[in-house]
Amino acid sequence: MKKALDAIGNYFKDFGAAFVKGDIGVKLSAVLMGAGYFARKQIINGIIMCLVEVLFIVLCIGYAAPNLAKFGTLGTVQFEQVFDPLTMTSTVNDYDNSFLILLNSIIALFIIFVFVIFYISNMKAVYRLQQKQENGEHINTFREDVRTMFNEKFHITLLTLPAIGIIIMNILPILVLIAVAFTNYDQQHMPPNALFTWVGWSNFKNLFTSSVTVTFGYSFKKVLVWTLEWAVLATFTTFIGGILLAKFINDKKTKLPKFWRTLFIVAIAVPQFVTLLLVRNFFADSGIVNTFCNSIGVTDFLKNIGLVPANLSYIPFLTNPGWAKVMIVIINIWIGIPYQMLVATGVLMNIPEDQIESARIDGANPMQIFIKITMPYVLFVTGPSLITDFVKNINNFNVIYLLTQDVFVTSDQLLANSNAKEVDLLVTWLFRLTNEYYNYKMASVIGIIVFIICAAFTLVTFTRTIKGDKEEEFQ
Amino acid sequence: MKKAIKSIIRHFILLFLAVVWLIPILWLFVTSFSGYKGINTSHFFPETWTLDNYAQLFLRSDSIVQYNRWFLNTLVIAIFSCLISTILVLMVSYTMSKLRFTGRKGLMSFSIILNMFPGVLSMIAIYFILKTIGLTNSHLGMIIVYSAGAGLGYLICKGFMDTISISLSEAARLEGASEAKIFWSVIIPLSKPIIVYTVINAFLAPWGDFVFAKLMLNSGVATDWTVAIGLFNMLGKSMINKYFSVFCAGGVIIAIPISILFVIMQKCYVEGITGGSVKG
Amino acid sequence: MKKKVLATLLATAMVVSCLAGCGKSGNDAAGSPATDSPATDEAAPATDDAAQAEDETAPAADASGSPVDTLIANTTGTVTMRVWASEEDQDFTNTLLDNFKAAYPDVTFDITLGAESESTAKDTVLTDIEAAADVYAFADDQINELVQAGALQEVAAHYTYDVAAENAGGAVEAATVDGKLYAYPMTADNGYFMFYDSSVFTADDVKSLEKMIEVADAAGKKIAMDISNGWYIYSFFQGAGLELSLNADGMTNTCTWNAAGGTDVAQAIIDLTASNVFVDMGDEDMATQIAEGNVVACVNGTWRAETAQEAWGDNYAACKLPTFNAGGKDCQMSSYSGYKLVGVNPHSANLGWAMLLAEFLTNEEAQAARFETRGLGPANITAASSDAVQSNPAIAALAAQAAYATPQRVGGNFWSPAETLGQILASGNPDGTDLQTLLDTTVEGITAPVE
Repeated sequence: MKKALDAIGNYFKDFGAAFVKGDIGVKLSAVLMGAGYFARKQIINGIIMCLVEVLFIVLCIGYAAPNLAKFGTLGTVQFEQVFDPLTMTSTVNDYDNSFLILLNSIIALFIIFVFVIFYISNMKAVYRLQQKQENGEHINTFREDVRTMFNEKFHITLLTLPAIGIIIMNILPILVLIAVAFTNYDQQHMPPNALFTWVGWSNFKNLFTSSVTVTFGYSFKKVLVWTLEWAVLATFTTFIGGILLAKFINDKKTKLPKFWRTLFIVAIAVPQFVTLLLVRNFFADSGIVNTFCNSIGVTDFLKNIGLVPANLSYIPFLTNPGWAKVMIVIINIWIGIPYQMLVATGVLMNIPEDQIESARIDGANPMQIFIKITMPYVLFVTGPSLITDFVKNINNFNVIYLLTQDVFVTSDQLLANSNAKEVDLLVTWLFRLTNEYYNYKMASVIGIIVFIICAAFTLVTFTRTIKGDKEEEFQ
Repeated sequence: MKKAIKSIIRHFILLFLAVVWLIPILWLFVTSFSGYKGINTSHFFPETWTLDNYAQLFLRSDSIVQYNRWFLNTLVIAIFSCLISTILVLMVSYTMSKLRFTGRKGLMSFSIILNMFPGVLSMIAIYFILKTIGLTNSHLGMIIVYSAGAGLGYLICKGFMDTISISLSEAARLEGASEAKIFWSVIIPLSKPIIVYTVINAFLAPWGDFVFAKLMLNSGVATDWTVAIGLFNMLGKSMINKYFSVFCAGGVIIAIPISILFVIMQKCYVEGITGGSVKG
Repeated sequence: MKKKVLATLLATAMVVSCLAGCGKSGNDAAGSPATDSPATDEAAPATDDAAQAEDETAPAADASGSPVDTLIANTTGTVTMRVWASEEDQDFTNTLLDNFKAAYPDVTFDITLGAESESTAKDTVLTDIEAAADVYAFADDQINELVQAGALQEVAAHYTYDVAAENAGGAVEAATVDGKLYAYPMTADNGYFMFYDSSVFTADDVKSLEKMIEVADAAGKKIAMDISNGWYIYSFFQGAGLELSLNADGMTNTCTWNAAGGTDVAQAIIDLTASNVFVDMGDEDMATQIAEGNVVACVNGTWRAETAQEAWGDNYAACKLPTFNAGGKDCQMSSYSGYKLVGVNPHSANLGWAMLLAEFLTNEEAQAARFETRGLGPANITAASSDAVQSNPAIAALAAQAAYATPQRVGGNFWSPAETLGQILASGNPDGTDLQTLLDTTVEGITAPVE
């Protein structure tokens, strides 16, 4: 943390130094960005810099300024339309669209931020040029500059394109949604017809308080607990199951391992949403499994031992909270194990044979070998991907949504009052909030919380991998 | 003798598991030949067998079922988004794995955290961003949606590249090869398994996604849809009793090429994912 | 260092150029029709034969001709429009669209028809109103939210037929919000009633739910209703005289389900379902169960008529909802009267044409044809009075139920709590919560304020 602050401090210090110690060319660069290059006869670089500056100024005036001017209020002019029955046309006033103002302002702020960094780097670069000239070092021609883009600076060339994609698809949307969490953007305030505005922290307060009518706090706790339970269960069941299955298939005593593996792979070759929707109908209240269970007496047996309410004539596989949770985990095992089996197959192939051999000589039985040698090795190797799976499961939208949407009705009234269900994960809840209730403000708040939880989990595990020097171990 | 019994039991368990795993798939398969269009709730196997569901998919396009178009749309989207995302992933993984520059570790932590943001939430913002550029309701927009952010999913691929010995690139560097040349002619050829893995994953995404696709392709015109939206739509309230077996037929048709792809690429896939996850 | 700058430059330039694109296209969202260019002379005279008999009902036309003539004269180039109709209605709507094009032969149309179920139109429209179709069909329960969000153009004038006068009063009321007409009624058959198999029940049996349960029990069959659904459970509480209505603000609800008598209704639902003959069942399940022969009577709407007719053949019958016994008193089950409406998107670039098309899709001829080809009950008074319509069992049942039906006016907070109440009651109140507390919590949820 301190290191990061120091780095930022130095960054600005260098900029100051460049400005103070720079010659006229460098100082001029503060106004005309290409000046420093012209002074060193790097004409092309200079022209490019000037063009960037001009472009930025044009953008500021034409795009950033009009949007940022309304950023504080998110617009004041409400949509109005007057219809003329004689010409059958309508005139619309010059209204404000709060969402577009928010979106464009954030894009504008982002551009300004990038430009400021760019501007500071430019100052330092021209000062560096000046120093080079003073020391009599070689100053690159434009052609040489381009060549470094494929050598020392190759990382910049490679990262530019992915970075642009990530900015558009990830960074900007996240910034927009963080902003939305502080507004009252919901069904009553939906552009283009209505305006929304800033409300500070009140959405966050709603999430953590429970009153008679606002049950978000209650629901949030319940949904969060189930989300974590689910993530743990889903991750470990498929992980362990996958290893066991892989071991079973890869055992020397198993004939035709490839054939068996293929059978399981076929199960994952059908796209997930097809299998999930199919399975949902398979286990429907009046579905085929229920017909079957009914005819062989399983339903009656379950009724007798109290697992199925007496007034039902079917097993509520996906409609009773308890049953649904268990079924979801089981169905997820069904979907997840073949994938994990593939992973585990590869890992098991690389297991150091000598260790197992020596353990066997020492008289360990297969069970002991599995627990003492195989498992630790597999855990060591796949530990990080286990955490990725865990986080993926926290955000596992498909399984829960496809299995329970339109089928499961909550019987918890307080959950119902905030549109949540017992089987909801945080993501499915927020999806429903946006998609069916247009409650973007609360969905954003929940999204931020999910994000924080996931980020915490990831950071704890990955900083170890990244910071440690283990990265170079195999190279 | 005892060995033989053990072996039989072992294979019997496997057979049992395989059956459990394949029952829903079998149901999908047999229902796709059902003469009854709705959901059959009393019999596992259809009472009447017919190829009509497939005929309806391929030969009798109506305004709701445009399977040929969906298949073509999805194929185009899948091919392009798979190309672009594979390139992006390779670029990022190579940079993070083999190049050393200031801010690399910071960038890595940052990108991992960024990847944690729930996609369903940023969806609506992405929709409006693409709308302002005029790319909603276009397949180009879908390709961007599926591939533009791909760079973030570099971790497994980077893990794989970490296992490629650095001495190879060192040697090439001594011979005067540029970094670009090393990337292209040393690292890429050695990364075949992970490339296959990335390609398969990227290729499959558009076939299975209906949430994003439904939001982006919101014109309601069936010829614009992907297979996933089309099939999902068939299970809507007013459709399910007339289209369930057609849905199954559609599911079988997508499953066939994907299964073949999986079976052929199995080896590469396994090597790729484990090579990657060894390092995480 | 300066190469780093160059690289950053490259990156920025690309981002910037891409964003510059956004800036330009952001502002011209609200469409304005092509009124700028003066009338093309060839187009104007030709309209006389096309315009047919439309002039009488048009509002005060000035000397230059009727608004429709003006519109035709002012239209240059292709009129591009998008229409949404439900999946089942595609073929029928396509023929209507062809007729529409034929009715205005001098205008070039490019009309695309999309599939969007009336029951979910709201979800798609509200996500992005500007991207929604110019003309779309929807169920009347969504009108309130659609008007709130500004997704419906007020029907301030009519051109080819008098929308308010030619349609049944209930339908017009359903299309009206705050005294303003916002949509064109298309069908009047979206409510619910009772379907039954007349080989099991007599016409007398179906008068009371208790009697029906008795008969079905004896036959070993089931009666189905989607009790865990706000739309249906309303039937019981409204039938017992309890109130649920939308407040003047158009968002929050008033609900008296927890008032005196409420617990009797709740207890009645528990008792009715306890028999396991009267069962809570979703719409899709119902369809399969009817086909399988397990369900012999169900509370549902015209969209299930086909399934029931196929399964029961000549024994297919329909009637108004039965009575049920709450607290020792027989109450007639109420219902929501449902209509399908056609709305015009105010953000349409061709507003005039969109309105004309909406009228065309809902005029008497279209409604009569819709009944003939699709079996959907017309909202148009003349079309509904034909013998064929009158003798349709489902539509007759709806008409009989109409006396006990109310138009649907309810705020968004109603659905989840009501659905859960139905779920709890239909499963026999498994936690044994005090019924009054149960209803109190439900009412709190339904009447919760909307910030």
